[in-house]
Amino acid sequence: MSNEALKYVPTTCPYCGVGCGLNLVVSDGKLVGVEPYKRSPINEGKLCPKGMTCWEHVQSPDRLTTPKIKKNGKFVDASWDEALDLIVKKFTEISKKHGPKALGFQTSCRTVNEDCYALQKWARCGFLTNNVDNCARICHGPSVAGLSLSFGSGAATNPFEDVLNSDLIVMWGSNAVEAHPLAGRRVMQAKKKGIPIVVVDPRYSATARLADKWIRFNPSTHIALANNMMYYIIKEGLEDKAFIAERTKGFDDLKTMVQKYADATNIHGVPQETVKEFARQYASAKNAVIIYCLGITELTTGTDNVRSMGNLSLLTGNIGRPGVGVNPLRGQNNVQGACDMGAYPNVFAGYQAVAVPENRAKHEKAWFLKEGSLPEWYGSTLTEQINDAGTTIKAMYFMGLNPTVSYPDSNHVRRQLEKLDFCVMQDIFWNESCDYADVVLPGTCFAEKDGTFTSGERRVNRVRKAVDGPGQSKYDWEIIALLAKKMGLKGFDWKSAKDVWDDMRSVTPGQFGVTYEKMEKPESVHWPCPTIEHPGTPILHIGKFSAADGKGTMFGLEYRPPAEVADAQYPFSLMTGRVIFHYHTRTQTDRAKQLHYEVPESYIQINTQDAKELGIKEGDKVKVTSRRGETITKARVSEDVAPKVLYMAMHFHQGVNNLTNTALDPLSKMPELKHCAVKVEKVA
Amino acid sequence: MSKKGDMLYAWTNDSALAKKAECGGAVTELLKYALESKMVDAVLAVKRGVDLYDAVPTIVTNPKDLDACAGSLHCGTLLLSKLVVEYVPKMSGKKLGMVVKGCDLMGLLELSKRKLVNLDNILMVGVNCGGSVSPVTARKMIKEKFGVDPNTVTKEEIDKGQFIIEYEGGHKGISMDELEEAGYGRRSNCRRCKLKVPRQADIACGNWGVIGDKAGKATFVEVCSDKGAKLLDAAIKANKLSTEPANPKGVELRSKVESSMYKLGDKWRKKDFDILAPTLWETIAKETGRCMKCYACIDHCPVCVTIADKWKQPDQMVRAGFIPADPMFHLRRFAHISDSCINCGQCEEGCPSEIPLALFSHAIRTEADKFFEPKLGKPAYTN
Repeated sequence: MSNEALKYVPTTCPYCGVGCGLNLVVSDGKLVGVEPYKRSPINEGKLCPKGMTCWEHVQSPDRLTTPKIKKNGKFVDASWDEALDLIVKKFTEISKKHGPKALGFQTSCRTVNEDCYALQKWARCGFLTNNVDNCARICHGPSVAGLSLSFGSGAATNPFEDVLNSDLIVMWGSNAVEAHPLAGRRVMQAKKKGIPIVVVDPRYSATARLADKWIRFNPSTHIALANNMMYYIIKEGLEDKAFIAERTKGFDDLKTMVQKYADATNIHGVPQETVKEFARQYASAKNAVIIYCLGITELTTGTDNVRSMGNLSLLTGNIGRPGVGVNPLRGQNNVQGACDMGAYPNVFAGYQAVAVPENRAKHEKAWFLKEGSLPEWYGSTLTEQINDAGTTIKAMYFMGLNPTVSYPDSNHVRRQLEKLDFCVMQDIFWNESCDYADVVLPGTCFAEKDGTFTSGERRVNRVRKAVDGPGQSKYDWEIIALLAKKMGLKGFDWKSAKDVWDDMRSVTPGQFGVTYEKMEKPESVHWPCPTIEHPGTPILHIGKFSAADGKGTMFGLEYRPPAEVADAQYPFSLMTGRVIFHYHTRTQTDRAKQLHYEVPESYIQINTQDAKELGIKEGDKVKVTSRRGETITKARVSEDVAPKVLYMAMHFHQGVNNLTNTALDPLSKMPELKHCAVKVEKVA
Repeated sequence: MSKKGDMLYAWTNDSALAKKAECGGAVTELLKYALESKMVDAVLAVKRGVDLYDAVPTIVTNPKDLDACAGSLHCGTLLLSKLVVEYVPKMSGKKLGMVVKGCDLMGLLELSKRKLVNLDNILMVGVNCGGSVSPVTARKMIKEKFGVDPNTVTKEEIDKGQFIIEYEGGHKGISMDELEEAGYGRRSNCRRCKLKVPRQADIACGNWGVIGDKAGKATFVEVCSDKGAKLLDAAIKANKLSTEPANPKGVELRSKVESSMYKLGDKWRKKDFDILAPTLWETIAKETGRCMKCYACIDHCPVCVTIADKWKQPDQMVRAGFIPADPMFHLRRFAHISDSCINCGQCEEGCPSEIPLALFSHAIRTEADKFFEPKLGKPAYTN
């Protein structure tokens, strides 16, 4: 027996974007549990049901342990050399024949920054393509776009804990208690302090139950409601005139636009008295913060919805100091980081635009590429790549993704993947999408590698290796490096995750000062952090916005209805979301005993009146159908959703994404995952 | 020859350890000797993690490695009892040495009652404890109340009713009362705790009562069991430890410190329970109405033991898949632990929904117990 009979490895939870610290417990090289990491300032040892059980899937017998190649329609075990040689051969052939736009590279936001950086570097260096994206595209892509337009930086403005400095907390389209439970905890703490909480949500969610005031509005009518509020704020002279004059532009556009929303109850469904009262409350609070989430973003108006949150904060001067701000709760553990790492079709790491010649030249030099070789064009986004599969896109590389379950319109995704000439899936489990691959590679999970996750508050948290990966699995960045080296590329001689991180730092000014050494303590660093001496930036936009002119911008934004609205044939509006007990497509969470016990299958929330009319009772099996497909699920009958509104969680195979709509937000290319028209019937 | 009830001052003969450890280093030396002499096969101890706010449990088999565990960490709020059951299965049948503060001890006694640990195989070296401060609270307190960067603190201690820090450039102490009135200080369960000297361990050690020229240089040792006496005698015989009889005035002082801690515990109990009493059920309903079913309160509780096939049977009273948890989630738990909540505070500290769980179960255990005969549970301790 050695000292290692009981070893605590402090690391970061692999689930949501809060970035909770936890201790993985290792005994003789085996993972045996999770214990609180009370030293973490983020969660003080507290964890949600997912965090508590996050170790259970790691040593599952279902883990991928060897590379597999599809031969004659069947997957057979292969050596690493055989699998990687095949990938290099196919990708090179296709790229030579069809050009750099024929390839698509996608990384999960679940994996460490180092993996994300490695993948985009390989795509850009190896194939001179910008067709690289990450699944933030279908989660907070509109936040990146919208907040950049409003404030000049596409990230959350204030840390989670800062809500305790507020005088009013507005949660808009965020069910933090289920989707970001330890950010939800901050709101619970705030409530105990007596800080009023307003939850704006069509559904009486677990978070709405915390609210002092819950405002139910019609699904997807955010802009109309925000404009209506701003109409009253301006009409009653409650706007922050000094702030507007000094720090913003676009007020006149906004003012003109909101005149049209003097009474928009017919759109959003909220009584005018309530709108007026809420508007006054928000405008007159000394410090008011808006926390929003995917209720805002996953719509074809996503970017404008985000900008509407920006408008509210700029109009009332609620930005750039403690207790205020506009904070998207980033969904996945590393959704901030995957974007920061440049796994994005128009930017390198640190949001350095590929369209800027100096940025390309800098990267060409750093990456040993020929001058003028990196492309300036805007690459194809996540679901655009799927839509173009078989036409312009011939081969795709997925790292840690399960597109046939998590992307909109699963039937479409399945049809499209079939059309690819070549497809690689790199994952830790055989997920439902692996059937569509030609090569499947075994990567390593959070407990088996070093690295970093960047949380929703821009804090870069260390991920520490606790145990070895199973079988022949490799670090994901290592797999990418092997591929690159097989192609003869220079600049991939990383020996450790830290080497990858330092490679990224060397080309990313905003994160140059974020070193592994500084991440040793759990306080770590919030980027921007441009120099080694820099302490990091917990709160953005103090005194000056990040935009080139230093100003915040207000926009006059018109309400637009969703791409598909309820009609006689499909009379229900279907919303989607999460449950606390599962993460995304459940490859990990369903392997935890409690989580599987709590929610083993999908369900649909339906209003009591609708259920009565359709003869549906609690627990009945129902069929839900949209123009794109159908799913069978179980009814949960309550008043939590309004009449003619339904709600389903996103986690299940052959589930809600059989129904969802691929229509895109023009600015961010976000598909309309949160809103489609369906019909529902009882299954005999 | 020592015997149960003996009180003495003890210090290590290892000058290097004496330098590193606190108050003579007797605790570390005793455990080291227990390992060297094979009285125990391993020691479950606590070491410093990333800094002095981070307490990390460790299993030590090489006596030399115990030096790293010397000294106290008041900002560590670990409970070691359940770790023995959950993470040290390979110790079954083997002898384990442990440092226990009051809550660790009570947890072990409860687990023993449930036949989940065999105390015959555990050598318990008790340390007196006036309470601990959660690490994040401690850092905030040092920053906001002491005006000191918590990263510069090199040592912290709780002495004579003060929380004292040494930092690069000075030292500073503030009375615990003042800190606690301002919402900092010890965890609320620690404030209510009345098991300050763990005399149900084999040996109880600490600094209370060490006076005169030995102050700060020796550990006060109370022999509490034959096993403890044997360990002490053997360590002395092996020339590892020196001792002298405790100064009678020191014994008196020790008793005074202990009784003033009891009084303080009673004061906090009255305060906490009086606030709760008039709206007990309303408060419990409201607070537990935020439960997100993380099961931390059960997992971390040394007296909650879940059945092996828990996730195989549908629960009739707490619906699967719904949050907030149905009321029976917590009512059932309160009932299960009503006779044995040790007020260790782990449930409350681990709760992501900020439910004052320890307050509730401690109130039930102590307040309700007044009215029951026979009493709820019959432990060897009082808390």
